[in-house]
Amino acid sequence: MFEVRTRKNRILLQVILLIMTIPYVLPLVQMVLGSLGGRGLYNYKAVWDTGVVPTYFRNSAIISFCVILLVYFFSMTAGFGFAKLYVRGKEIYFWLILVALTLPEVILLTPLFVTFQKLHMFNTFFAVILPSAALQIPFTILLTRNFDAGIPNEFMEAARIDGASIWQVFCHIILPLTKPIASAIIVLTLINAWNAYLLPLLFLQSPNLQVVTLLPQYFQGEFTNDQTKILAAAVLTAIPEITAYLLMQKNFEQGMSAGALK
Amino acid sequence: MKLKTNHSSTKINGLPWILPAFIFLLVIIYYSIFYTFNLSTLDWNGLDPVRKSVGLKNYTKLFKDRVFWICIKNTVVYFIITFVVQNSLGFIFAAILHSQVKLPTLHKCLIFIPTILAPATMAPVFRLLFSPQGMLQSIFDTLHLGIKVNWLANPDTALYVLMAVAIWEFTGMSFILYYAAMSQIDKQILEAARIDGAGNIRTLITMVLPHCKGTTVSMAMLGIIGALKTFDIPYLITTGGPNHATEFLGTYIYRQGIRQSHLGYAAALSVTLLVLAIVGALATNYANKGD
Repeated sequence: MFEVRTRKNRILLQVILLIMTIPYVLPLVQMVLGSLGGRGLYNYKAVWDTGVVPTYFRNSAIISFCVILLVYFFSMTAGFGFAKLYVRGKEIYFWLILVALTLPEVILLTPLFVTFQKLHMFNTFFAVILPSAALQIPFTILLTRNFDAGIPNEFMEAARIDGASIWQVFCHIILPLTKPIASAIIVLTLINAWNAYLLPLLFLQSPNLQVVTLLPQYFQGEFTNDQTKILAAAVLTAIPEITAYLLMQKNFEQGMSAGALK
Repeated sequence: MKLKTNHSSTKINGLPWILPAFIFLLVIIYYSIFYTFNLSTLDWNGLDPVRKSVGLKNYTKLFKDRVFWICIKNTVVYFIITFVVQNSLGFIFAAILHSQVKLPTLHKCLIFIPTILAPATMAPVFRLLFSPQGMLQSIFDTLHLGIKVNWLANPDTALYVLMAVAIWEFTGMSFILYYAAMSQIDKQILEAARIDGAGNIRTLITMVLPHCKGTTVSMAMLGIIGALKTFDIPYLITTGGPNHATEFLGTYIYRQGIRQSHLGYAAALSVTLLVLAIVGALATNYANKGD
């Protein structure tokens, strides 16, 4: 966008970029330096030796996987229905779904807390998976509907004339064609489910059910605010996320920006 | 929000396709909304077998509650400042990275990584960074600036620290969106402006910025809803303190409902929050259509 012709200006622009980027790196540097304070790498060993790290990661993986499955299923089916099929009073259903788009999760806490306890679902993964998926799907349905609407009807009609059932059309035509939006939805849901803090904090009480976002807290209680181990735990949590991002940059960027484009 | 429908001429009943998702939302979201609405007319601590109905008293109490108004003020200040700073930075980053600089991918990754990291993971880092024991203090000391970093303990500065954290986290998002919007600008139009004698800055403001209006509006809508929903960052870094200086509706609802078991009052706050979020979303959507 900037037109830089002279060498001096080119260097100036590069220096401005560098100075602007530094603040974004500082917290990461602080995280790594802080985690090495005191006894250095031993902090990592101490965190690992508690034995909870693999459990927390496994739990986060299970929860994220289930949330993604639910979100994928509900968005693909409903997105298709809204974009391509005839539904009486369609827009009423759609606006009712869109209202949930603005819903802050804190509103769900008390009702779900009371209800889950009654249904003996409190302190199970379901208590986190169900509301996490519910908070996600209004938006992913909107994305899928807009994407599906762009698929030409001729594809479907040709298949119908050949005798394909609507279910076959969905599986063999719609699903393969919606792969781009589906991968964006999966990454967006993964990030949100993996980073979720409030719902696991409240609904998962047993130590063996905790998730990665609660890992720093483990060292706040256990070792009375042991800063270096808290930060070592934070680094351990951040590494897989950063690695996943670097490996799938395009998908992550599309997923996150899909989250903003309406 | 754009709604697109492209009916197939084959009139197949789509109800079975949308019903699973609809029922799922009804059972979790709408159930909770109605439950909260009902709760907001009660004075109940969650355990007492007697649920005393108090009508709209919780709502009248809310308007006289000093802390509620602090939350509103904080949300407004937080939205305005983070929106302006975050999007200006994202816009400038996007413009610079479209200008044939060296190492574009490295810079892109460094700006975007904060967006994917959990606030819960980063909160302890920020508590250290902005404390007298943190790296900022060492940097200021090395430079002999004579600045004392104790900003999180000070009610006048704590909110600004939280805004800095939010800007750190979300600039990557603004950047990616502006970057994508700028890729679609016709280079020839910019060339023409330059031939007419417009400088870099002027071209950026009069040509590029208006072209990215869609992105700016999307970010405004996301920002309003995001500011109202804010929970993780203030809860984890300052727990709303010191002395409610960084209290937001989310943290206040949590404090009233979960910590102090004032379920009725927390529910009234929740309903108010939901109404504000819907009004905010509709207002930006309307502003978007109005041009």
